[in-house]
Amino acid sequence: MMRLTGRRRAAAGRDSEDRLYRSRLDRTIMTTLLIAMAVLWLVPIASAIDRALVFNGWRNFSEVITGDIGGITLWQTYWNSFAIAALHAVMVIAVSSLAGYGFAKFEFRGKELMYYVTLVFLAVPATSVLVPLFFITRELDLRDTYLGVAMAEASLTMPFGVLLMRNFADTIPDTYIEAASMDGASHLRTFSGVFLPMSRPALLSLGSLSVMWSLQDFLFPALLLSDHGKTTAAQAVFRFKEYLAVTPDDIGKYNASLVLLAVPALVVVVASLRFITRGLAAGGIKE
Amino acid sequence: MRSSPAAGGPDVGRRLTRRPGIGAFAIFFGPLIAFYAVFYFFSVGFLIRTSFQKVSLSFRDATNVGLENYRLLIDDPRFIDAVRNNLVFAGVAIVAAMTIGFFISVALWSGVRGRALLYAVFLLPTLMPIALIAAVFRTMLESRFGSINEFLRGVGLDALAQRWLIDPDLAYGVIMVMFVYLIGLPILYYTSNLSIINTSALESAVLDGANPLRLMSQILFPIMRNTHKTVTLSTVLMSFRAFDIVFFSTGGGPAGRTEITGTYVYNYTTSGIKVGFGSAAAVLVLLVSLIVSAVQLRIYRSAGAQR
Repeated sequence: MMRLTGRRRAAAGRDSEDRLYRSRLDRTIMTTLLIAMAVLWLVPIASAIDRALVFNGWRNFSEVITGDIGGITLWQTYWNSFAIAALHAVMVIAVSSLAGYGFAKFEFRGKELMYYVTLVFLAVPATSVLVPLFFITRELDLRDTYLGVAMAEASLTMPFGVLLMRNFADTIPDTYIEAASMDGASHLRTFSGVFLPMSRPALLSLGSLSVMWSLQDFLFPALLLSDHGKTTAAQAVFRFKEYLAVTPDDIGKYNASLVLLAVPALVVVVASLRFITRGLAAGGIKE
Repeated sequence: MRSSPAAGGPDVGRRLTRRPGIGAFAIFFGPLIAFYAVFYFFSVGFLIRTSFQKVSLSFRDATNVGLENYRLLIDDPRFIDAVRNNLVFAGVAIVAAMTIGFFISVALWSGVRGRALLYAVFLLPTLMPIALIAAVFRTMLESRFGSINEFLRGVGLDALAQRWLIDPDLAYGVIMVMFVYLIGLPILYYTSNLSIINTSALESAVLDGANPLRLMSQILFPIMRNTHKTVTLSTVLMSFRAFDIVFFSTGGGPAGRTEITGTYVYNYTTSGIKVGFGSAAAVLVLLVSLIVSAVQLRIYRSAGAQR
């Protein structure tokens, strides 16, 4: 709808109404195109749900929910995924908030070089470090443990964590830190008493992203967990197939399991979408 | 460089407190350094060492073979194909991001009803486990029971029902479609940058009666130069990490047609025997990712300096 120029000017910069369109027709065409594309994007999801109902209808779902699939239940995969994701998030937050504070608030020689070296590992592909991470985890005796997987994942998330926390710490005025240190507080007390409470938005973003990335990870669980009881939800996409794709009758069950295995990630992403998008945009640099 | 306060005066005290002692340095950077020492410096060293060895995943009885693994690697047409496929898929994803992704972002930003819901439709698949998305694509495209073929047969278009994942060229196309489907991050980057651009040029062009497509291509597209760079580099890096996309849909097949570097390295690593050879491939992939990261950091920093 065309609006008065004055109103439009006033609106610019605050909301996004009518910035692009001369007429109602323009807007209708664009909206139609957009909705058509959204429908295309929903095809795989619709297909998964459709396939999940073949042959036995909703029984496919109830059998996956209540059943034991190759030695593990669906609920156990959820639990395994969240346990690893939580450990991963705690490690990433602890290490990178400390370092982020240090990079932002300390001055020392070689700091920027050290920061650069930290960030250059931002995009290391997991596939390229499988061999050493397998070796390290074995030497630490952490195969088939949640901690082993979480540590391997944390190593890949850490550069992003440091980037995010330093960027955030840079925006906290030094006067806050100075005021605290003038009261005689040590850096550690300033960190826990002033910096961490002020960093809530960044910590929420980093925490949500860490949980999400861990839930997305297939490679490290597949490499490091051979115990079927520890299978994560993402890993179960692979393991369930071995048990559920034998007869045509199983196709519905397998697809029902795919839909159900999306639940943990879906819950996390929907609940924290705001923090996730903010964190990704602030990083603006990771995958 | 960050601004440093002038020497002397009240700043002296502040500068002193900002120089960490050994203890403070150890507390704040110790965990990071320990992590990096093990997971990057030792890791990379270990990887390079195994890349010169003939060794299994038990890491016992390794024999040194010098540059043999690298020589074999460069002679392996499958590796060369994997690298080429990787670049082709990255290229497709970049073009899609800068056209479809850009269009979607601008259309969302320009104000439609249900904007948040539509945004989620495009963004969410990227934030799910990619293994899951790829597995859904595979079952969807299965020739006998897949819903695409069932749909085509249902509406009498039997001739169009294809062996999507078995025909090499179609499988290649399917992987491309998946790279386009996972367009969420570019849309996120464009969306977040659209929210901070200066729209005055746009407003006067709208008043002059320019159509939306012209506004997009001639005004908005050029302003988003820095975002295009972010999108391009992050997409290239994503393509090296796109293991799950290929592994869970075509498995790199048929006959290696859709192999990318990720699946190539994974197969040799987990085969358990030719681990040294797989390590050599991993070293090369790692090297490329570090170089792209370094380029990205340069751009990111110069963009940061302008702000």
